[in-house]
Amino acid sequence: MTTALSAGTGAAATRTDDGVRPAPRPRMATYARLDLRRQLRDRIGMFFVVGLPTFMYLVFGIGSADPVGSGNVAMYVMISMAAYGAVTATTSVAGSAATEQVMGWGRQLGLTPMRPVAFVAAKAAVAMAVAAVPVLAIFAIGAATGARGHWSDWVLAGALVWLGSVHFAVYGLAVCLAFRGPNAPGIASGMIVILAFLGNVFTPMSGFMLDLGRFTPLYGYVALARFPLTDGWLPVGGRDPLWLPVANVLAWTVIFGLVALWGVRRSRART
Amino acid sequence: MTTPAIRATGLRKQFRQADGTPVLAVDDVDLTVHPGEIVAFLGPNGAGKTTTVDMLLGLTAPDAGTVEVYGTSPGEAVRQGRVSAVMQTGGLLNDFTVAETVRAIAALHGRSDRVEVVIERAHLAELAGRRVEALSGGERQRLKFALALLPDPDLVVLDEPTTGMDVGARQEFWQAMRADAALGRTIVFATHYLAEADEFAERTVLMNHGRIVHDAPTTDVRAAYGGRTLTFRPPAGAVGADGIDADWLGQVHRALEPLGVTDVDVSAASLEAAFLALTADDQPIGAAR
Repeated sequence: MTTALSAGTGAAATRTDDGVRPAPRPRMATYARLDLRRQLRDRIGMFFVVGLPTFMYLVFGIGSADPVGSGNVAMYVMISMAAYGAVTATTSVAGSAATEQVMGWGRQLGLTPMRPVAFVAAKAAVAMAVAAVPVLAIFAIGAATGARGHWSDWVLAGALVWLGSVHFAVYGLAVCLAFRGPNAPGIASGMIVILAFLGNVFTPMSGFMLDLGRFTPLYGYVALARFPLTDGWLPVGGRDPLWLPVANVLAWTVIFGLVALWGVRRSRART
Repeated sequence: MTTPAIRATGLRKQFRQADGTPVLAVDDVDLTVHPGEIVAFLGPNGAGKTTTVDMLLGLTAPDAGTVEVYGTSPGEAVRQGRVSAVMQTGGLLNDFTVAETVRAIAALHGRSDRVEVVIERAHLAELAGRRVEALSGGERQRLKFALALLPDPDLVVLDEPTTGMDVGARQEFWQAMRADAALGRTIVFATHYLAEADEFAERTVLMNHGRIVHDAPTTDVRAAYGGRTLTFRPPAGAVGADGIDADWLGQVHRALEPLGVTDVDVSAASLEAAFLALTADDQPIGAAR
């Protein structure tokens, strides 16, 4: 069939009859692999995903052997920085997915047999693969440079950082659908830096800033990732009950989800 | 009688502008295209060509009317790989290379076997390793053309396919298209270059203000509205520094014969005349000349 179709006479014969062609199956794994390679090749993007958090861990984490919960300060900083990297990864992958759709690649994809659900699944796989890079890299560097904790802290924190970063894929979608245009993914990742400061990710906060920070979206996610290590105790004293970070994550998931839905509706209405 | 490649009846689509005023982009369009035809959609910008093309491809749902492509819905025809398109705007990722772009879309069509074929057909072999952002406008169009060939479609829809190409690239592009049409593909293209419709299409559909104003074989459109034109060269003495001598021109009007007219050339009027006649605003059709 393949050779006949491109050969000329055979092509004319096949074209005029009304027989239904068998619909070929999209190979999503191949598409996802090409897309993943494209993301990993983006040097500036990967600097913020892996380079910056690694650098911050090296500056703030290495050699801090003071105890925190069931481990030490290096471990605490390591989890925080891995979380920042993972969240930047999911934000930028999801954000660029939304931007690609708005900027016209979506029209190209619309002319293939791929279903939208398959596209979302492929993008989610790519986002999780990219998010795994900083988690693995920073945890490995941490393990080699004195981050210490109970074995269950390592496993749980790693899993929470990695899986919890999904929550920010929704954020990336929401921001990029709200601020359309080619700069939107940059805006989304840039805002992550500010949210990381407010969310108690980079430096321990206290007083009014801490009270304010508890309501910002990165606070709950990072506090939850550090919970196995700290059991809720804060570096500046005081303790968060488990429900607080959980409530934070749930509330922001709902908010980002609603904004993303509104954005999708709006982008549909235009075309 | 075979199933038509495209059968559209009563298509209508309305948009809302930024300030909220509705615009009727496509107004009651009927169109049937048979397999193997080469049809040009000709019209000025804003005539509704792109919107019509979008509805033929299932990218936009019509407000009223129906579209069938090879007897099924446009979406189903796309899924079967029977229809593909070269779009006017966007549609490429800057940080993929040419080869990666082709491989990615080929994977989605489940036709990775055709990557080599279409790269060769669109003359992209030397550019395969180049990033899309480094391509010229014409090279981008060629890449989009390659993507359109991936599913080995029966019908290719091209929306302003030669935008951004220089003369040479444009010629090369139409050569490739002609080779493809010879294989039996149905081709529908939207353009505002009259020469392209004139040269390449067997049938021309003229659109203006969202309506089809004329639909006929290209030669008929030209003949019906342009007629025939007589061109001649005046004798050297009649041409001065400020153009042709007015007295002489007056004589031409009175009598042709004794004036020493040399080199008379009778040619078909351009489609441009027909186009201007049909799309001129506030003028009845055919009255522009």
